[in-house]
Amino acid sequence: MPIQIAGPGGALEVQAALDEAVRQALPKAEVEVSAAGPGHFELRVTSAAFAGKTRVGQQQLVYGAIAHLMAGPNAPVHAIDRLECLIPESPNDP
Amino acid sequence: MSLDDSTRQKITDLIEQNRVLLFMKGDRSAPQCGFSARVIEILEGYGAEYETLDVLSNADVREGIKVYSSWPTIPQLYVGGEFIGGCDIITEMHGTGELFEPLGVEPPPAVTPEIHLTAEAADALGQAAAQSGGPGQHLHLSISPSFQSTLSMAPQSPMDVVVETSGVTLMVDRLSAARANGVTISLVETQDGRGFKVDNPNAPQVQTMSVQSLKELIEAGEPFELLDVRTPEEYETARLEQAQLVDQRLFEHLQTLPRDTRLVFLCHHGPRGVQAAEQFLSMGFTDVHNVAGGLHAWSQEIDPSVPQY
Repeated sequence: MPIQIAGPGGALEVQAALDEAVRQALPKAEVEVSAAGPGHFELRVTSAAFAGKTRVGQQQLVYGAIAHLMAGPNAPVHAIDRLECLIPESPNDP
Repeated sequence: MSLDDSTRQKITDLIEQNRVLLFMKGDRSAPQCGFSARVIEILEGYGAEYETLDVLSNADVREGIKVYSSWPTIPQLYVGGEFIGGCDIITEMHGTGELFEPLGVEPPPAVTPEIHLTAEAADALGQAAAQSGGPGQHLHLSISPSFQSTLSMAPQSPMDVVVETSGVTLMVDRLSAARANGVTISLVETQDGRGFKVDNPNAPQVQTMSVQSLKELIEAGEPFELLDVRTPEEYETARLEQAQLVDQRLFEHLQTLPRDTRLVFLCHHGPRGVQAAEQFLSMGFTDVHNVAGGLHAWSQEIDPSVPQY
């Protein structure tokens, strides 16, 4: 288990920022974020916006939304170790 | 996240001008990160034309391409102006056979290679597979374009050819299969314990060159690298003017050369040259020679003015 540090730059704060960024870009999305190590996170996103897109296209939507958290040498997010993109079973009622 | 117009234009031009373009760290002969190296290894296996762009020497592109593609990591592969994916996706597409079409390569026919196992190797492979293989895991043999062999456990992919040999089931991907015919796998004792040895008759071998042929090669004036692998003291004592003493700096430089560069190794009597030549073969060089008899033979047969010691 990685140690979770609360406070500025801590894993919990970054998790919240990731969650917020994905929800802003993909309204109604279901987002699960977990820490996988210092600067490393795992994401599971369920959104109707993924329908009809390739796997790359789906991931591009998420990566585009969180790019500001991954940019530059001191970015709070170093890597997304695992990114799952799921389409809700009934796309009209996510 | 913004991307300035000039960088955007630069990237657009790059991907329009190069049908297959890999944005990577380093270049194909010296990748500077494991993920870039993995993708190069895959692309090289197809023998298709591709270009690379080193983001380490293009800082604007390094950050810009991430925004341009909405993709946070390097390497990134573009084909025909379209983003294909990063390392994971390329690896996956390689496994499923989805890379042939974008790279414009005909899939090789699924020919089953003939693979021999010694009795000991068959036993040990069977045991290894039983111990480390979970459900859906199969023993795989892959052979890189530079004939490096790897044995691993992995799920079966649609591009695999299944080989049954000496009671062992081996999966070989189609690109490797074309390089695997006639391979013998045996069990050998090494310093680190027992290990598998893969003898591949398709792999290039060190070629022996006589001092006479070396003389002709020098006189012909064709480009090649004549490499002296003796100690600096020996080099001081006696040497060929055309030969370069291999020190750390030259060694690093040689690693960046195209893999079809002709390399000719020279030592005192021959054995050190063979060792060095084999090392370069294993790095993927294909046109590798060793001078039989070394400098001693040169002095005896060609030029007595080179001192013997």
